[in-house]
Amino acid sequence: MKRILLLAACASMTACAGHMASPQISELDEVRAMIQKAKDAGAEKCAPALQAKAVAGLYHAAHEITDEGSANPVDENNDLISTALSNAKKAHSKAVKGCGKPKPKPRPKPKPVAPEVISLEGVFFETNSADLTAASSERLDRAVATLQKRAGLHVQVAAYTDSRGKASYNLALSDRRAASTMNYLVEHGIAADRLTSKGYGESSPRADNATVEGRAKNRRVELHIK
Amino acid sequence: MKELSLLAVMLLLCTGTASAAAWTASVDDRADALQAQLKGNNSYQAHLAREFASVAVEEKAQHDVQVAQAFMNKAEAYAAQAGGSK
Repeated sequence: MKRILLLAACASMTACAGHMASPQISELDEVRAMIQKAKDAGAEKCAPALQAKAVAGLYHAAHEITDEGSANPVDENNDLISTALSNAKKAHSKAVKGCGKPKPKPRPKPKPVAPEVISLEGVFFETNSADLTAASSERLDRAVATLQKRAGLHVQVAAYTDSRGKASYNLALSDRRAASTMNYLVEHGIAADRLTSKGYGESSPRADNATVEGRAKNRRVELHIK
Repeated sequence: MKELSLLAVMLLLCTGTASAAAWTASVDDRADALQAQLKGNNSYQAHLAREFASVAVEEKAQHDVQVAQAFMNKAEAYAAQAGGSK
């Protein structure tokens, strides 16, 4: 009697483990091969949903094909096989496209390079005028010499004012001062096609416009090398 | 006595497996619990767990309870690997 009980226990244990058919059957060779191919291509990472459908479909098909008690007609089993195969192919395709090759890293945008600036300290104008002071010629002559040495340079002559007065007036004044400086350079032998001029008014102050020293620093002329 | 002990051990082994839940919860309930457990988890293991659970529910609907439980056990094993919801 005890032996019978023991046998019954073993049988019930088998039942509680359930039955899972092995997919190692010839009908599923192609599906298995495609799933393996997809896996090798990285489908578990790149196409997890499709690969999972393919694998689960493989086991499902294996069960239906091998289950003698299954009521599934052959056509339905074939559908299971073809669906699993289709999913494996899609997973493979997606893996090859998405994971087979590392995606090129987007090139970092080149940081905007600040233009090289030659500050023409010592260049001054008469008050509220674009006329260069006599003392400015010394500094401008050195600028001419530099531009002659570096014949390949193209520069923008940029002029700035302090913030006293109207912004529109300051902008116009700086425009005239930039043009005046450029004219000096052209008159002293620098080709005009290497030069442009632009006034920036009171924008881009270098120092505090509330102090005399600050305003003096803000009134300036620069050569912006292109 | 020896045989009775062996019997007890075997029964314990049986109820101690992951399928122990099968004795206390239906396949449908287990599938629902698994779906909730894996909500938002898109790993391969999580997808596989859901797919096996889906097959289990389908088999259960066809009254193939043992197979349904086997698929559910597999689903739960993969769910454990997937590590829950993300």
